[in-house]
Amino acid sequence: MNIGRKRKGKAAIPTSSMSDIAFLLIVFFMATTKFDVKEGIRIVLPQAADGSSGKTQSLALTENEMTRLQIIEDGRISVNNEPPRHFEAGELDALIQQKLRVNQQMIFRVITDREATYNDMIRVVDRLKAADIEKISLSTN
Amino acid sequence: MANIKKEKSREVSIPSSSMSDIAFLLLLFFMVSTVFVQETKFWVERERWPMADSIERIPRNHTTTIYVMRDETILIDDIPTRIESSDDVFVANTLIRKKAEDPELIVCFRTDRETKYGVMSDVMRQLQDAQTLVVAFETQRRMD
Repeated sequence: MNIGRKRKGKAAIPTSSMSDIAFLLIVFFMATTKFDVKEGIRIVLPQAADGSSGKTQSLALTENEMTRLQIIEDGRISVNNEPPRHFEAGELDALIQQKLRVNQQMIFRVITDREATYNDMIRVVDRLKAADIEKISLSTN
Repeated sequence: MANIKKEKSREVSIPSSSMSDIAFLLLLFFMVSTVFVQETKFWVERERWPMADSIERIPRNHTTTIYVMRDETILIDDIPTRIESSDDVFVANTLIRKKAEDPELIVCFRTDRETKYGVMSDVMRQLQDAQTLVVAFETQRRMD
């Protein structure tokens, strides 16, 4: 009688489908990945005015040194106390360039009404930043 | 007679044994770089941010984000708060603590574009009190 001992098969985990699994996972992570890149308008606020230390000083600035852009509650803008009116982006650019021709170091003071929207303020600050102006003052009334 | 035999054409194959290594490398990259965005009740969607042209990249590693919603709720460190009077100094206190941990702190605002400026002004005053003076207003890039 031929009773042979059965040969033991070599044990192995099949790895041929490993790359399929890996690619499947890649596709999942690629689809769900969201690169959270932060982009925006960067501003450096002034130091808090501290009346008691006497460090602050008032300066009287003329129209040739500072331009007041007052944004009223409906989004209209008053330039240096002129009657407020609507400004398109192009008009704002032209105004800024005109003021810069008067004085290259012009300070722009953006006074936004508490009832005006954040969007109105950003619209103006964006145009100022587009003209490479660093001297921007933000305040409210 | 010379023995001219036709050369047997060899089988051409691209080695694919390292394919899974490449796949796992890519997998690791995406796993590490994935940020699962958790949507909460207090959230200002990207579509609600204002539009701007002159925007710059803000380095992420020193930033903290403050959300300001249209109803004037402020969200800092996932804690909602409001500024109703000058006694509400939660924002300032939180920022003083954060500023101590990271002196190069940049505060990013994710504000709904329809928010009234008054609340933003109040928050910025508290930022000045906390000596965190570098701020960034997050905006969408205008596509013309």
